[in-house]
Amino acid sequence: MSRGMLIDLTKCIGCRACQAACKQWNELSAETTHNGGSYQNPPRFSDKTWTLVTFNEVETQAKFAWVFAKRQCMHCEHPACASVCTVGALHKTAEGPVLYDAGKCIGCRYCQYACPFGVPSFEWQNTFSLIRKCTMCANRQAEGLEPACAKACPTGAIRFGEREELLAEARSRIAAQPEGYINHIYGEDEVGGTSIMYMSAVPFAQLGFPELGDQPVTQAAENIMQQTPTIAIGVAAVASGLYWVLKRRQQQATAKTAEAATDKGTKREGEKS
Amino acid sequence: MSVVTYGGASPARRSVAISPTLAALILLTLAGFVASVWRLIVGMGPTTALTDDYPWGIWIGFDFGLIAFAGAGFTMTTIVYVLGLERFREALRPAVLAGLCGYIAVLLLLVLDLGRWDRFYHFLIYWNVHSPLFEISWCVLLYTTVLLFENSPQLFERLGRHGLVRLIHQYVIPLVVIGLTLSSLHQSTLGTLYLNMPYRLQTLWYSPILSLLFFVSSIMAGLSIAMIAYMVAARLRGRSAKPAILSGLATGVAWVALVYVVLKVGDLWLAGELPALFAFDRISGLMWLELGVLAVLPMLLFFVPSLRNRRSVQWVGAVMILCGVLLNRFNATLFAQLAPAGATYSPHILEWLSTIGVLAAALLAWYLGVRYLAAFEDSHQEG
Repeated sequence: MSRGMLIDLTKCIGCRACQAACKQWNELSAETTHNGGSYQNPPRFSDKTWTLVTFNEVETQAKFAWVFAKRQCMHCEHPACASVCTVGALHKTAEGPVLYDAGKCIGCRYCQYACPFGVPSFEWQNTFSLIRKCTMCANRQAEGLEPACAKACPTGAIRFGEREELLAEARSRIAAQPEGYINHIYGEDEVGGTSIMYMSAVPFAQLGFPELGDQPVTQAAENIMQQTPTIAIGVAAVASGLYWVLKRRQQQATAKTAEAATDKGTKREGEKS
Repeated sequence: MSVVTYGGASPARRSVAISPTLAALILLTLAGFVASVWRLIVGMGPTTALTDDYPWGIWIGFDFGLIAFAGAGFTMTTIVYVLGLERFREALRPAVLAGLCGYIAVLLLLVLDLGRWDRFYHFLIYWNVHSPLFEISWCVLLYTTVLLFENSPQLFERLGRHGLVRLIHQYVIPLVVIGLTLSSLHQSTLGTLYLNMPYRLQTLWYSPILSLLFFVSSIMAGLSIAMIAYMVAARLRGRSAKPAILSGLATGVAWVALVYVVLKVGDLWLAGELPALFAFDRISGLMWLELGVLAVLPMLLFFVPSLRNRRSVQWVGAVMILCGVLLNRFNATLFAQLAPAGATYSPHILEWLSTIGVLAAALLAWYLGVRYLAAFEDSHQEG
């Protein structure tokens, strides 16, 4: 029973109540504000901003549109961050959230490279720095509450629930209003599926969502990593075999010319081994 | 590498005078030490230019380049002990010592790069067998231990502990095989590490055979370091490097470089990426520099006997290969990474200082080792 969220971008009004609620619940401090040429603030995720409403100015059906996208950790079904973590500090829970064990993390930042959504953020300003990211409010979920962002949303753009039920809901919304949505539920299949899914009226690529395949990000590397014992045994066996064969051949050659062999200290020492 | 000038052709071995090169290495090491301690105390915010868009910088670039360079150890032990090519034995110890100094520098740079450097040992306790970095951490630690044993005869001989030398020698074959196994694993896993970045690494670099490419390139880098280490060590110990050994190593570099270039170009061809090479933009330019100028060109130099036998060409070719492999690791880490639009990274002065300091310390350690330990198997006979 894996839970997730369905975010309907057509209902988002860009009020950023979710962004504020996230900070409030998770006790995250404010960002220094800069004018980046749009209402979006801050420009990207950080250790202090786990959810972020992006403000996208797009052209759709020959008209200007201002589309807001509430972004946060996607809580992948096969999280790349968890696969690559040196010390296994990240893991996917059966309930849905991808959680992080701050007690294990060594701050190597490999997760930041593996995540295709740019989610894990680092505490650059601390002496001892760790990774921070959205938890889908797992601690609220444990108390039977919905995530703070979903709770705060005034328009119902964020729905929290069972992933399968949310998917069915999304499909029925698209079926009921095919002209209102593009026929793409972002997160249904992306990188093997994610717990957070999106519906939109404009293509996701125009909203800064990465275009991703259906394969889990780390599939290819995991296939190779699984071969580690085989490679180790193979290399050791081939090297040992090669040594034995070459040594034997050398000894046979030496035996033939045994009489001619003079007292060469270094060479004899080599043969003893 | 300019330590070669020290002492000239007839070094005054018992001289305590400090050459300008040695003085520079000591100063850089000290400066790097101060910069590193400062970074460890105040954290990465004030001491690096790293950001969430560019989480890895020159520490990782040099670190991964250095791991390939330190492949000098496993390539030379494999050549001499596994393949039994005794004629290369004289070049063995300087290379294996370079391997040890390299790996210790690697460990130091890795610790600098950790947000929780005080937890550097966590990979021993908390396991994640899917993680390339987990495997690399283990292999680097274990292989550094192997290198300590492989280098110990240089110290024991110097101390006249010939019983210990014989003891190590009895177990040298298992040591070498374990070293080769650990090296094969982590040198290739460094490539697997980038396989986990399909949406970040530019397509000219991203490839399903990244692991193989990293492994093969570590061999050509290792052999190049072995050449340079042998030339410099011979000079420092007032002997002349044997032309046959250098020529043989150069031939080896050329063949490995050929394998690398064929694999790389073949892979680009199969992936239909070859046209991207002819875009002649910044990205394709980097690939031309890395593959054309710094792999194919030295390969050709080393394939022509009349060129390969010249000491100047041996230097130039080996340095070019090293620059190429270093650039490859930097491309994978930085230049060919698709960071978000507008994101930039220009290393902080303290990143440079600490990196150069660690590299200088490694050079200094190698220099002292070659000068004062038994850098050649018969050097205790020099008196």
